[in-house]
Amino acid sequence: MAITEEPQIFLRYDSKRALTAFEEEFGNNLNIDAFESDQAAIAALKECSAPPHALFILASQPSSQGNSPLLTHARDAHPGLLKILISDAVPLDVLVSLLEKRLIDRCFEQPLDPDLVRSHVLTSALARKSHENVMPEAKPKDASDEVPTVLIVDDEPAATKYLARQLERMQNDFHVLCADSAEQALEIIQSMPGTLAVIMTDQRMPGMQGKELLDELKQSHPATVRILTSAYGEVNVALDAVNEGGIFRYQKKPWRATELMSLFQEAIARHCALASARESRLSQLEQQFNGLRDQRRELLLKNLSGPVDTAAGAPVMTLFIQALDTIPCLFANTSHLRASLETSLENDLIQQFGEQVHQQLTRLQAAASMHTKVDQASIRAALQRSEEPEYEHRSNAPAPSILLMLCESLTTLLTASGLSWRSLNLSQASGHSLILSCEAPLKLYAHLLAPLTRLSRPFLDQQVALLLLFITTYRLGGELQISGAAQSYNLVLALPLANSPEA
Amino acid sequence: MSPSNRKLRLYVTISQRLFRDSLLFQLLLHSDIDLVGESESGIDTLNRLESSKPGVLIIEENLQDNDGLTIAENALSLHPTLSVLLISDTPVSASRLAIYLEAGIKAVVSKHQPIQELVKTLFYIRNGQVYVGAWNKPDKPSQGVVNAYHALSGREREVAQLIASRTPIKEIAAQLGVSCKTVHSYKDRIFIKLGFERLPELILFMKRHHNGAAA
Repeated sequence: MAITEEPQIFLRYDSKRALTAFEEEFGNNLNIDAFESDQAAIAALKECSAPPHALFILASQPSSQGNSPLLTHARDAHPGLLKILISDAVPLDVLVSLLEKRLIDRCFEQPLDPDLVRSHVLTSALARKSHENVMPEAKPKDASDEVPTVLIVDDEPAATKYLARQLERMQNDFHVLCADSAEQALEIIQSMPGTLAVIMTDQRMPGMQGKELLDELKQSHPATVRILTSAYGEVNVALDAVNEGGIFRYQKKPWRATELMSLFQEAIARHCALASARESRLSQLEQQFNGLRDQRRELLLKNLSGPVDTAAGAPVMTLFIQALDTIPCLFANTSHLRASLETSLENDLIQQFGEQVHQQLTRLQAAASMHTKVDQASIRAALQRSEEPEYEHRSNAPAPSILLMLCESLTTLLTASGLSWRSLNLSQASGHSLILSCEAPLKLYAHLLAPLTRLSRPFLDQQVALLLLFITTYRLGGELQISGAAQSYNLVLALPLANSPEA
Repeated sequence: MSPSNRKLRLYVTISQRLFRDSLLFQLLLHSDIDLVGESESGIDTLNRLESSKPGVLIIEENLQDNDGLTIAENALSLHPTLSVLLISDTPVSASRLAIYLEAGIKAVVSKHQPIQELVKTLFYIRNGQVYVGAWNKPDKPSQGVVNAYHALSGREREVAQLIASRTPIKEIAAQLGVSCKTVHSYKDRIFIKLGFERLPELILFMKRHHNGAAA
């Protein structure tokens, strides 16, 4: 399951010397199969059961790669295979045309940074693993059936305005917007109702550069297809944009509207493919995660309802689960699914949470014999005490009173939200009940029914504290109301005022 | 190139003050790092992210108040362009690493790795690039430096020894019978060849790996 083996790569080389140098640099980290001809490499690609993690071309003449049978075969037969070209120097024209034919994914000039190259291969190898079990990464994006939009960013507004008008007149398939700086482009994208389909930006502009803009959009708007343009033949910028920015094309200036027409149409097709793949991944992820969530809910109720409800004297476990259901967390993505499906997370969650709850229930039983006086002063005293740094509220600490356990739980939850007992409002509702509420919403960034990547101590502590707050409140004859919002909740706790005769 | 000339806007979230300070002292030696904020808790980080607008967030996985990874995921959902470097307590397996990368983390450095590795990683991820160090080869990180040290000339090694024992340049010059200028140029060459930038690095290296034996 884990990739403990080295990533497997195929290497096509022209000169023995280049091969030796490459092996010296990467032999320790990559498992290299080297081929001297395209035919031999193609034959090996056809034979192997699983394609390698990357295909390297060590080309002495990068221009000849434009009609490389090997790269063409790799592109058509193994669309997911990472294709990396390495050469002493790569002319911009060659890079542009290789990119246009989608023959390469990365391109490096010698001398290369081995750490960087290796990182690209390892990342791709890791990503590949994820496709085998779960779908690739996805984030929610609002889909729209509107006409797609193309945004052209250039600091010469006169030229772009004219071009935009020309393009608008030539077709009805897409809208064209213009921005005269990267900053303005970001503003436009932010305020757009839907997702931007394509962005084409000039590299050299005052303020933020084109490459930076594309880097940023790659993160924030992964479905937007990115095109870089420049009137200057800066091959370094182009290489960075390919390797880091993952650009779709590099378009040289000056442009012609007819040229751009077909470029944009291709780019929009690409955007649609990306966006719909994303959407279907999203719904698949959601479905898969819903299954996991149901399973967790069922197990939690089955394992803990009995002891918890008995200890509280009320059907508290269901109330607790219902409260969690009202607190939405982040959407599930592949990392969560992979953690749930490939690691022991799901089992550990049920087991460790169960254990901790049982420990607390044992303490509660011991505490039940202690006399608890419930009034404003004693609650304040208990809250302050549970917040002292040396106060030990671990499972093996001696049993305090139930009220103190309630305050412990509150303190844990308050601390996780960056708050303290000072944010609590205490008031006397009628003659015999005390109302405790928090002036700010409390935070719960993840919970038992949320997508998780790992279990941590603060996470488990918070879950146990929330459940214990329910248990102790009901045990003291009170009532707890949780109203959830995005990753947060408001709580109102009502406790009967009395010298409570417990047990 | 212009993009990398921009300052790296850094935010650091580490609970223990001593650890945070030590790391920051190292990082702030780099003039292109601009510290825009620091926190000891996850909740404080999320509260202050909006106003500090960092480009890179270094965050410990195990924080006191909340899970560091959960905090990082939330920071990313608010600021997708943020590059997150996660500091883990233990070395990370490949399968675990895959989970982190899918969660949008750009790189993971464990507390068992040398500071140079963290600095290197920080500069790789500053533009949103994912960076994965070698995972199956715990790659004795200093081996490269040891090799580089052995590749120094006899004279260079001699000077390195003297510098590491904090002998003043003037005295070194007198001892070797050369000018101060020559010693300075030896020193520059040694630092470049070993990839060091500051005296403590050289001293530490000599103490750890040569303990006087290389004299």
